Amino acid sequence: MQEKNKVTGTPVSRIDGILKVTGKAAYATDYPVKNIAYAVLFKSTIAAGTIRSIDTGPAEKSPGVLAVITHKNAPKLNVEGGIRGGALLQSPKIEFHGQHIGLVVAETYEQARYAARLVKVEYDQSKARVDFEKLSKEAALPKDKEKADAKRGDARAALQNAEFKVEAVYGTPIEHHHPLEPHSTIAEWQGDNVVLYNSSQIVNGAQNAAAATLNIKPENVRIVSPYIGGGFGSKGGQWANLVLTAVAAKAVNRPVKLALTRQQMVNSVGLRQQNHQKVSLAATKDGKLTALAHETTTHCAIENEFVEPCGDCSKIMYEVPNSLITYRVVPMNLILPTYTRGPGKSTGSFALESAMDELAHQLKMDPIELRLKNEPTRDPSNGKPWSSRTTVQCLQEGAKAFGWEKRKAEPRQNQQGNFLIGYGVACGTYPAHQRPSSARVTLNRKGNAITARVELAAADLGTGTHTILAQTAADALGLPLNQITVKLGDSDLPPAAGSVGSVGASSYANAVHDACVKLTDELIAKSGKQFFVRPTAAQLMVSENVADYQTRVDAKPPANADQYSSHSFNANFAEVRVDIATGMVRVTRFLAVTGAGKILNPKTARSQIIGGNVWGIGMALTEESVVDPRWGNFVTRSFGDYHVPANLDIGAMEAIFIREDDRASNALGVKGIGEVGIVGVAAAVANAVFNATGKRIRELPITPDKLL
Amino acid sequence: MRPFKFTTVSDISSATNSVAGKPNARFLAGGTNLLDLMKEDVERPEELIDITRLSLAQIKPLTDGVNKGGISIGALGKNTDAANHPLIRQNYPLLAQAILAGASGQIRNMATNGGNLLQRTRCPYFYDVAMPCNKREPGGQPGCGAREGINRMHAIFGWSEKCVAVHPSDMAVALAALDAVVKVRSASGPERIITLADFHRLPEDRPEIDTNLSPGELITAIELPKNRFAEKSYYLKVRDRSSYAFALISVAAALEMDGNRVVQARIALGGVAHKPWRALKAEQLLVGQEATEANFKRAAEVEMADAKPLEHNAFKVELGKRSIVRALQVALTGNRS
Repeated sequence: MQEKNKVTGTPVSRIDGILKVTGKAAYATDYPVKNIAYAVLFKSTIAAGTIRSIDTGPAEKSPGVLAVITHKNAPKLNVEGGIRGGALLQSPKIEFHGQHIGLVVAETYEQARYAARLVKVEYDQSKARVDFEKLSKEAALPKDKEKADAKRGDARAALQNAEFKVEAVYGTPIEHHHPLEPHSTIAEWQGDNVVLYNSSQIVNGAQNAAAATLNIKPENVRIVSPYIGGGFGSKGGQWANLVLTAVAAKAVNRPVKLALTRQQMVNSVGLRQQNHQKVSLAATKDGKLTALAHETTTHCAIENEFVEPCGDCSKIMYEVPNSLITYRVVPMNLILPTYTRGPGKSTGSFALESAMDELAHQLKMDPIELRLKNEPTRDPSNGKPWSSRTTVQCLQEGAKAFGWEKRKAEPRQNQQGNFLIGYGVACGTYPAHQRPSSARVTLNRKGNAITARVELAAADLGTGTHTILAQTAADALGLPLNQITVKLGDSDLPPAAGSVGSVGASSYANAVHDACVKLTDELIAKSGKQFFVRPTAAQLMVSENVADYQTRVDAKPPANADQYSSHSFNANFAEVRVDIATGMVRVTRFLAVTGAGKILNPKTARSQIIGGNVWGIGMALTEESVVDPRWGNFVTRSFGDYHVPANLDIGAMEAIFIREDDRASNALGVKGIGEVGIVGVAAAVANAVFNATGKRIRELPITPDKLL
Repeated sequence: MRPFKFTTVSDISSATNSVAGKPNARFLAGGTNLLDLMKEDVERPEELIDITRLSLAQIKPLTDGVNKGGISIGALGKNTDAANHPLIRQNYPLLAQAILAGASGQIRNMATNGGNLLQRTRCPYFYDVAMPCNKREPGGQPGCGAREGINRMHAIFGWSEKCVAVHPSDMAVALAALDAVVKVRSASGPERIITLADFHRLPEDRPEIDTNLSPGELITAIELPKNRFAEKSYYLKVRDRSSYAFALISVAAALEMDGNRVVQARIALGGVAHKPWRALKAEQLLVGQEATEANFKRAAEVEMADAKPLEHNAFKVELGKRSIVRALQVALTGNRS
């Protein structure tokens, strides 16, 4: 989608790539803060009950120890301040296994970690609610009004009378985000002000939550988070570790560094909840859907509720007169679930798109044809027109590129040596929104050399945000890319939306673009001249002899944005090879075709889509966090046990983007790709496994034992 | 990590003298497992004896002794070097395949051959000090977390009520199939030789003891006898992820053939017991028989008939049968990749 002489839309390499691969990009714990002390958290070894006694004496006397902080001596914090998941050391109550119950601060990390093991804790234990299989029967309506039963027509009646139907329960396990950079913070107080070097997907959100919880003003908190080593939702909301680092630094009157260990990640920063999803589809014999019911049962924390919206895809994917979307939730003694890549859509699409495949098989219809027959012309959930919808193009272009015609309609028909080969398809979608964001642009001229600085408190998860904003500014100002500096991830900069929910690119790029346009307008106005051809800001700096110029905008989504239903769409194609004897599955080829509006940088966009696909393949085949149903502890606490895909698990990956110009969505037509890349992936793989083997696996992950 | 004393030694006798009479001292070689366990507070040595300066890394052909014509693999050689050594690739491809099936490239670059045999189970209850484990906390009454817990990865042979853990090594499974012996030295007494089959032990009432090494003994080398298996052997590892995952089941299979008749068979299983599990019944059944799928299946059935699965790992019985058959079939075709 490259326009003439524009750098936007071209496959530019990351402008911070060299910094990162040479180790010069400073992540949260990399800041060379002087006189630093080290904090290590210690955690409960029961899932429910109360701390009866806690003996910190031996830890306090251990070499190098500066402080031991527990609920007995922690300062009063505001537990309603916006920190997720509790565990702020405010009471002796234990609500999940591995809840923080204190921290040790010492001169060295090793001393702190050793002393943390010397703390002796006695508990009054109560019965833990940790067995989801049993507790799911008690699940009840969520408190969240958005998760109330949503009915259109009468799905139950239509199902009863249906000629063809699928009714099946699909299970997805707990998953963890496990970004390569564990959650880490350095806290440094300067009088009443605290600087928190921290890994945050929402910079201003972290600032506000930290301030509110610490009972201080937001202007007394500065978050510094220019680089993030992955977050996937777990660094969207902020967790106790951020604030407890500030508490520790205050207690020892020194800067303190706190980094979670990989083992601590499983019960410190949220998780993707386990779901049972019952999907019921009814159809006529020619494949017109007559009913769709998507009923999700899941769990939340004991005190707080978070329910991922598994029924969202089912609301909008297909034209169906009778629809029912429900949620039931049961509180459990596990850490609060949270946003996890493609929240609700990645898991929900597994259920919906598996069921569509089951229906197609029952109807003896090609699964692509079944989807095309039920393509809605408007958003079926609210009747609004689509800002654009690319499902049909994604399916058709994908089928062509993937060689879909080579798929055998019946399963187990493609054997090559010891392997069965199968093809699968599944669709996905994710909402596209622009959120309010501000941006500041500063131009400097030395002679004819002009440089620009772009600043906003945006977050770059490692996906290339710095780069796409430099591209946007370069084009809007008329400057080469290498004359643009982008500064992000600092709450002292103009406030911006979070890099969450696929809103980052559209919110930030529109803000930066608006700021550059405004700056150019202002320079034109300042010149007092009239131009037949609109000059660039760069030209104006020279022609009007301006040395420095700065402007700022507070960009907002288009006023009429909510008149449209705006979403990214995709179609995923998987080829799998299943070992007949051992049940080992390998995805040999994967293709994602995505319609996500304007693609600012095809190179970083491809990486992001493929990254989502890889996690989706992990979701399908390998990833599962396992809870011991007796005690509520995770038995999968390391990368040796929690199986993210390895290089060998991933075959040939291809990403295609549908060209589209969706200005109804937002001014630049940028729709976001972070979330949609994982949506529909697991179903495509599971459908391919069915096509290969004839076995319909409805419980993820599809490990070898399930295919014997 | 608990504070510990660190001692560096430069020859075998100072190494063995350094640990003599010190039950809480440990040799440190690659450290890929020991240091992890120390960070998790599972291993709590008071002293580490750094043996990495000892000259025990050599791989060389054996020109005399009972294993003449075989090979000696130095205890301190790196796993990567063993897997890539031309003599091992040429004469013991089964061992090269097994080593490369284990861990990751980075870990194999650090891990030593002797250390590989001494690595400890990856049972999550052993690794988590908040959980009960008889192997980690012997003598008390903590119980085995896995016996009634999440035991999908655990043993189907030779377990006890005290411990259902499996030995994690791939290399050791191939060594068991190839009749390896382990040479050890101690401060007192002459060199001792332990067969690989007797090197690891079953948990019984003492799951804290993984091997039959005596306190203070140092592995100096692993020796393999000469054999005629190089043309027909295969290491099959079935796992949840294609790399860096422990075996659900692994099979080291080797055949010596006379036409279509089996002269000798070697089969060892990994991921099924507290030690590499030599499938002697299956081997004996195959000797003198034709190498057919039916005979492979019969051998697999007989071997797996003794399996006693736990709550979550019954699949390993069927998977074991299929994997034995598959490994023998691939071995027969002369896979040397």
